[in-house]
Amino acid sequence: MNKYRHAFLIGLQSNLVYRWNFAVRGFFSMFHLAVVFILWGAAYTGASDIGGFSFGQTLTYFLVMLVLQFFVGAFNEDYQISEEIRNGLINQFLLKPINYFLYRFSIFLAARMVTGALVLIPLVCAMPLLHSYLSLPHDLWRLPLGLVAMAGSALIQFSIAYCFGMLTFWFLEIQGFVILSMAIESVLGGQMFPLDLLPGWIYRIAQFLPFYYQTYFPAAIFTGRIHEIGQVGQGLAVQLFWVVVLLGVNQLLWRRGLRRHTAVGG
Amino acid sequence: MTRHLQIWLASARYSVVRTMMFRFDFFLWAMVELCWMSVNVLLISVIYEHTGSIAGWTKYEMLLLVGTSLLVQRFLMGFFWSSLFEMGRNIRSGYFDFFLAQPGNILFMASTRKLDPDGLMNSFVAMGVVAYAAHKLGLHPSAFDLALYALMIFSGLVIHYSMLLISISLAFWMTSAQGVEGIYFTLSEFSRLPREAFRGIASLVFVWLLPVVVVSNAPAHTLLHGFQPRWAFALLGAALLWFGAAVLVFHRGLRRYASASS
Repeated sequence: MNKYRHAFLIGLQSNLVYRWNFAVRGFFSMFHLAVVFILWGAAYTGASDIGGFSFGQTLTYFLVMLVLQFFVGAFNEDYQISEEIRNGLINQFLLKPINYFLYRFSIFLAARMVTGALVLIPLVCAMPLLHSYLSLPHDLWRLPLGLVAMAGSALIQFSIAYCFGMLTFWFLEIQGFVILSMAIESVLGGQMFPLDLLPGWIYRIAQFLPFYYQTYFPAAIFTGRIHEIGQVGQGLAVQLFWVVVLLGVNQLLWRRGLRRHTAVGG
Repeated sequence: MTRHLQIWLASARYSVVRTMMFRFDFFLWAMVELCWMSVNVLLISVIYEHTGSIAGWTKYEMLLLVGTSLLVQRFLMGFFWSSLFEMGRNIRSGYFDFFLAQPGNILFMASTRKLDPDGLMNSFVAMGVVAYAAHKLGLHPSAFDLALYALMIFSGLVIHYSMLLISISLAFWMTSAQGVEGIYFTLSEFSRLPREAFRGIASLVFVWLLPVVVVSNAPAHTLLHGFQPRWAFALLGAALLWFGAAVLVFHRGLRRYASASS
């Protein structure tokens, strides 16, 4: 494990080099929050509650969603993996006793620590404007279970990005696949609107898809959109299922991909 | 002027031929854009399942606004996005020299090198969204209103182009700033919101200082309520102002361009 600890520390250092890029990204995500505030604020002028939630609760949901994306979301890991395959940089990992998935995951964890910390800065600055709207439930069980769900979300997010990176063994360019997937994830992951606003039957189908567990699930636990602890238990079981499936797919793609991989030169 | 038109036609022909060579890519990117457009339409549908109006706008009025906003953005994607995105990368890498050596206006050559037929294909889908919303609203715009709508879409395209060009031109000053084009996408999110939803400082910034809201609201208002001089002149004035500012920023940046090697 020591080698992955070192990979994590190197990842931490290299991500700190790009702290300004991440800080700017965090700053511009506040504009997205402004869009949410204006759009949903206007929607609430025509209804006292939407889906059984007040404006404050909906705004809190989007804020938690934003913070979660910076803590557990895969930013450009797919492109980084793709670049390493295309440029032959993975050759060095094939010759060393190091697991490429664990190496990349260590760097992913380091990157999310940096981006998660940096998004808190603009958030703290915006807090005087936002704090009167925020509304979080007070159940103590939500914090530990939400953190467990967050860990599962991070694994799912990274695994999906890793799968897309692996596609480079078959396709020269993966950007189209990634952006197409982002559109699907933005809807079924609850980034565009809380999933419980969907018609009941679509919502129930969404609960069985991996996207639900990318960010919506922990956000719904923290913000009270999932009411009962029993529902959280069921959700964690489905989330674990998807983590296992995606880890399996990762390994399959890696093995199949390596069969097609050709390394030239020294 | 004729020579530039010939150059543009040659670039367009080259882009179409290239697209025909990579048909799977064309299909994939057309799907990508279609999916993102659907996401925006779905958002509106979901919200209106739970509320009757957004800032006084009904569901189909809002759909008309979103369709208009998407139409402007599809034109930008189709005509300019690839060229401007590559411009940023070329400035950073030094490959921008290639455009400096070409016999034509530098900004024109760099902005029109590539055309994206997939983006242009989806502009028909956006037009379909607008037409569907207009049909549901029972609108029967006159030929004059339609011509004015088209002119306003063109003005909106000029404003979006100028905003993207200013974002990309930042690469002349900040060569390490990758992803600056993200600024444009963040700002364009505001163009799908009705003007009446903005209050206080948000109204000042996004309606008056940055004309992202006017770009979509002005043409949508023309279809909904007919010719309104206030909206038309605000949009035309903003288009002229922003295009002038973008050209100025680009040329100021160009003076700083120092290539990357011999």
